[in-house]
Amino acid sequence: MSEKEGKITINVWINEERLEFLKKVGLASMAKEKFAGMMLLEIACTEKQKDSLLQEFPSAKYDSSTTHSIELLPRTVKDRIFEASLKLHSTGPEVIDSVLGSTIRSNL
Amino acid sequence: MRYLGHNKKPIVDRVKPRSDSEKIDGMTVLPVKREIAHEVISISYGFLTPLEGFMNHDEVAGVTSDMELPDGTLWSIPIVFDMSAEEIEQRNLSEGDSVLMSYQGAPMATFDIDEIYRYDNAEMAEKTYGTKDPKHPGVRRTLAYADRFVSGKVTLINEPIFNEPFARYWRTPRQHLDAFAQKHWTSVVAHQTRNVPHTGHEALMKQAWFAANEDKPVDEIQTGILVNAIIGEKRIGDYIDESILLSQDMLREAGYFRDNIHMVTFTLWDMRYAGPREALLHAILRTNLGCTHHMFGRDHAGVGNFYKPYDAQSLLKQYREKLLIKPVFLKENWYCPECGEVTNAALCNHDRASQNFSGTLLRSILDDGVQPTRKVMRPEVFRSVMESSEKYGMGSSFVTEKYLKGRQPIFTLQKMEVLKA
Repeated sequence: MSEKEGKITINVWINEERLEFLKKVGLASMAKEKFAGMMLLEIACTEKQKDSLLQEFPSAKYDSSTTHSIELLPRTVKDRIFEASLKLHSTGPEVIDSVLGSTIRSNL
Repeated sequence: MRYLGHNKKPIVDRVKPRSDSEKIDGMTVLPVKREIAHEVISISYGFLTPLEGFMNHDEVAGVTSDMELPDGTLWSIPIVFDMSAEEIEQRNLSEGDSVLMSYQGAPMATFDIDEIYRYDNAEMAEKTYGTKDPKHPGVRRTLAYADRFVSGKVTLINEPIFNEPFARYWRTPRQHLDAFAQKHWTSVVAHQTRNVPHTGHEALMKQAWFAANEDKPVDEIQTGILVNAIIGEKRIGDYIDESILLSQDMLREAGYFRDNIHMVTFTLWDMRYAGPREALLHAILRTNLGCTHHMFGRDHAGVGNFYKPYDAQSLLKQYREKLLIKPVFLKENWYCPECGEVTNAALCNHDRASQNFSGTLLRSILDDGVQPTRKVMRPEVFRSVMESSEKYGMGSSFVTEKYLKGRQPIFTLQKMEVLKA
């Protein structure tokens, strides 16, 4: 993965409930405190995955100027990304691969 | 009870019972857009006292240049009815005519035209908003006005029937005053809002309550908080109206405010984002609702970087003597991890550690449907926002194209046939 690709993220909000799940799979330290106890889990995304997500979900936007994150993804997709991260014990691009795979399968 | 409003003027009441409205037969019908319809309602019930109709040329000139109506009453924003010369000619409208305004296919109000005039829209915009930049939404609105203005008094002949959940929060200015008297409130502090409440807003209201209570004993509560939401033109990304009202009221329902100190209502008004001038208008509006105090925080009614954070507070200070309402000036609340609480920027000295309530952050949290921590938002408020997004927002807490197209109307008017019967 290039350095550029590594910078693209999908931010998943973590509250107390989600933090407990992260603790169980040893990912709690990956969540960064953002605001008043609310934490963010940054899921890495490749350029190719970004394009696929934007194509699959036209409402989503890529913030190329400030956060370099993909925003406005449907809530259900964000939930699935979080669940995939727990299942795979990872915050790497394989999480998005897993979600994209299931999304494409569910659309077939 | 004496119903007095801004500048001690009697609260305007230009609402005529339906039984008096037979004379509408044969009147020229003038369909009006939503912006005008909302202002007709607000004028007729007295929210904009002492205005009884749309402003004439001299009134607009006085308001934009000197912030004064012809009798010297403080007024900061022009209230105008724009119409194209073409439409005026097409409908054969002349000064001295009385016409019937209709909205959504139903008769609404009579309008006694006293002047048809031109005005320099660019000048009106620049004087009102302090900028000519069309990126400012108020400037854009003003520049988009048609090439003529029509002034005159309006009389509401068909009262709006508000749909739920609006119906339970609708009160006319007189009804506000009656409700305050019933609650034995002698001081009422107004909270202007277009937001669902986070803990920072809640703390601001609580801080303002103490300021408004002043030296009154607290064994029997005589001070209330009026959360008066602005309901009007919506932009994509705004909170949906229903969420605002229901979640604000949830703070009381869930016990974060006592029943006897908190009330939620709304005013039909399109935000102009005029910053300091709009702050004056909000002060006037809430005077007309019977409020004695009004909260003004950082960036009140501003937009982008057009105004400095405390410009509104400076202008209010300047015109303090012309207002019957007392401003309560507040700095913003933030979350301080050192203090371990939501606190006010005027009090907390942990500037570096402080975490600001950001609208963008909160939007992103709510968009994801992730329940915020209690430090950010009360769980009952969050649930209320989520429920109303499903019930009224087509799955979103924020205004979308879908919501704008498919939302339920705020109010309905009885149709002509029903009215005639």
